[in-house]
Amino acid sequence: VAKTSLTSPPWPEVELPDPVEEAKYHAEVVQKVNKMIATGQYGRLFAVVHFASKQWKITSEDLIMMDNVLEAECGDRIRMEKVLLVGADDFTLIGRPLLGKDLVRVEATVIEKTESWPKINMHFWKRHNYQRKKIIMNPQTVLRINTIEIFPCLS
Amino acid sequence: QHFRGRKNRCYKLAVRSVRRAFVKSTKARREKKRFLRALWITRIEAASLEHGLKYPAFISNLLKSQVELNRKMIADLAIYEPKTFKSLAALAQRRRQEGFLAALGDGKEPEGIFSRIVHRY
Repeated sequence: VAKTSLTSPPWPEVELPDPVEEAKYHAEVVQKVNKMIATGQYGRLFAVVHFASKQWKITSEDLIMMDNVLEAECGDRIRMEKVLLVGADDFTLIGRPLLGKDLVRVEATVIEKTESWPKINMHFWKRHNYQRKKIIMNPQTVLRINTIEIFPCLS
Repeated sequence: QHFRGRKNRCYKLAVRSVRRAFVKSTKARREKKRFLRALWITRIEAASLEHGLKYPAFISNLLKSQVELNRKMIADLAIYEPKTFKSLAALAQRRRQEGFLAALGDGKEPEGIFSRIVHRY
């Protein structure tokens, strides 16, 4: 059959590597990373955590402020689940979408529970004698991330 | 916060301009979210072009491989953790190639068609 413009797809042809060899390579890499974690050859760990409907990139000794109330007293320790990503200098563990609870452990303490600075909500229509002014102060909580730990239970 | 001209000295003019400032700040608070998202998107596009991927390909392949990082995070990672961003780009590239292979399917022609070449007799 003659070659038309639609014989070959517009993207360049790529061949994927052999699945058997790929599986071997993956197992090797996983073992290496496990060893590194077990011996403790990582420096600073950073994690991406989903908390209070936002995603935060956190390290140890970090301060986080959220615009809502937490039902915990000041000085309470909190363990954050819903970890999306954990990384160090040489390796990262990407969750799909979350990482297991037996892999990562993120601890935080509640430090402060304050209100935000008074924000002014104003609406004004000109020539219509319409103005509304409202001062809003949202409650805020400040957390400090104590530690991020990982355990060598990859597979 | 400084108000140029007589707006910072005369009461009548100051009242008008302070009122306008309050209204503008309330409206800007709603626009800030749109503006920041556009900023993150441009940053992610620049970073992914450095690794040879375009932004729509990058984001769609990341979502298809079930990684739910939002754009703020990916932009921050691209700034402060270049190695992590490189691994994310490689993941998206691999998923893209697998998608192409899946779209091609078998290399056979569909049945029921005898020829694609038209002979004129």
